[in-house]
Amino acid sequence: MRKALLALAAVAGLLFATAAPANAYEPVNIVHTERVQAGPYGLTVGFSTWPLKAMQSLDFTFIPDGGIEGKSGTLTMVNPEGGQNRKQPLVRHPRKLDVWGLDVRSMPRPGAWTLRFTVNGPAGSGTGELRALPVLEQPGPPMGVSWAISTLPLIGLVVLVVVAWRRTRSRLRGGELPAIG
Amino acid sequence: MDLTASGVKTASVAKPARTGLLPANVVLGGSLLSLVGLTWDIQWHSDVGPDTFFTLPHLFLYAGSAVVGLASLAVVLLTTAARRAGRPVDPRVGGRVVNVFGKTFAAPLGYLVSGVGAATFLLYGLWDQWWHGLYGFDAVIDSPPHIGLLLSITVSLIGTTAVFAAAREHRWGRLGTLGSLTVLLTFAPVLALGLQQVPDDYADAVSIGQSTMAVLLVAVGAGFFRRPGGAVGTAALVAAVQAVFWWFSPWAAQAYAEMVGLPMRDAISGVPEMPSLTPMALLPVAALMELGYLAGRRRGWRPGRVSVVVGGVAGLLIGLSLPVQRVLLYTGAHLPPAWYLTTTAVLSAALGLLGGFAGWRFGGMLCLLAPAKKGETADA
Repeated sequence: MRKALLALAAVAGLLFATAAPANAYEPVNIVHTERVQAGPYGLTVGFSTWPLKAMQSLDFTFIPDGGIEGKSGTLTMVNPEGGQNRKQPLVRHPRKLDVWGLDVRSMPRPGAWTLRFTVNGPAGSGTGELRALPVLEQPGPPMGVSWAISTLPLIGLVVLVVVAWRRTRSRLRGGELPAIG
Repeated sequence: MDLTASGVKTASVAKPARTGLLPANVVLGGSLLSLVGLTWDIQWHSDVGPDTFFTLPHLFLYAGSAVVGLASLAVVLLTTAARRAGRPVDPRVGGRVVNVFGKTFAAPLGYLVSGVGAATFLLYGLWDQWWHGLYGFDAVIDSPPHIGLLLSITVSLIGTTAVFAAAREHRWGRLGTLGSLTVLLTFAPVLALGLQQVPDDYADAVSIGQSTMAVLLVAVGAGFFRRPGGAVGTAALVAAVQAVFWWFSPWAAQAYAEMVGLPMRDAISGVPEMPSLTPMALLPVAALMELGYLAGRRRGWRPGRVSVVVGGVAGLLIGLSLPVQRVLLYTGAHLPPAWYLTTTAVLSAALGLLGGFAGWRFGGMLCLLAPAKKGETADA
């Protein structure tokens, strides 16, 4: 009993010790940039991590020359196989409101991705692409292993249901239980 | 200070009727804390964004599981102590007692399941923390550790349902079972988001999963109560929770954002995220299921078989309604082509048959957790 409590306390302690303090939201720190020409608009694309790895989240910033004032636009992500995500509006980065961006976003799989921008502003509309954005393999264990670990409760649940089903089968068969209340 | 007053009537509830009421409600309270934390957390990610481990919604989630775990542990230890002292153990408190680790612990089945779910939640929480250390705080609901966490909550919610079902002969036991089923049904569509990992080229796996779980749990309600109102009562309570969360989730996300001084995202849908996962067609479909059970009862058909048929029909309708519901709620969402809707609805119907069959049976199994009265077939 004492051992169980100690283990519980250790788990709780570990949780608290390893966690970041509440509300400590990190500033957007750009370590790499690329340039995109979308018609008349020059655009600087910033990355808070470089190189990119699949599934690892980062902050993106999209800064048109002269700032975002009076401009709008959309972003489409094209995956390495050529499939397109839904076009999304370019919106302000939630932790850096003076520029457009995406916060804590990851690229789901490795390969050469494309970011397609459409920018509308005083000089009209323009489209440009950041092609062959390299995304490396994901770090960490293979997904199969991770999913196997995660589905253990499901396996436990199935075992429980099978055992309960077998044990109650004879009692539930034929005769109906009475209603309640 | 003496607070007793002369002439105060003693409570009308007999002592045995109250046995088990307190821990059962503490466990249900913990489940509700987790549910509130989850709807808040999901909304927070979509409307505001930045995450750390110690956001308030996360605290709700973890506190909920801690409450469930500690209450379950307390009951298991008390039961173990009672058996060692040779005192009789009331099976209405959490159901039949099973031995754990040989005969080291005596654990009522319901509390054993809820406690194990809460304990695995903590373990998956540690794994989730490690995962975020490696991959960062990209808020995807269907990451392996998140699905592990959601499955753990599911296990503890099933335990909670069993805890109340064991007290079936009391009104609070039946109401608590209804409440636990409601929490499970409100929670289930989020778990079904794990099916986003399944290829969806030919049918919408998430909608199929969501409709199957909804049909299954409504059938559990019907199979447990075994009287008119079991199915529709479960669905009505789910609709009530959906209505409350519809208001609560966006409000809580905004209030918390203001509290910590973060702006709302520029492009938010304005749609409450988790409540919009719950099938809105559930209440009318459950009413239809109820009619099916009623008709079967009048004609003397075997309810287990009736449940299969009504489950299939319900699966078809809910499976068809979910893609439409998304189009109605989210601007820019497109209705999939007719063939895709058809395959989704047909597969939902097939799994609905299974849901109706298994759900009725699970309801019966829950009934058997309660000590049998004289003359009950459960005793045979």
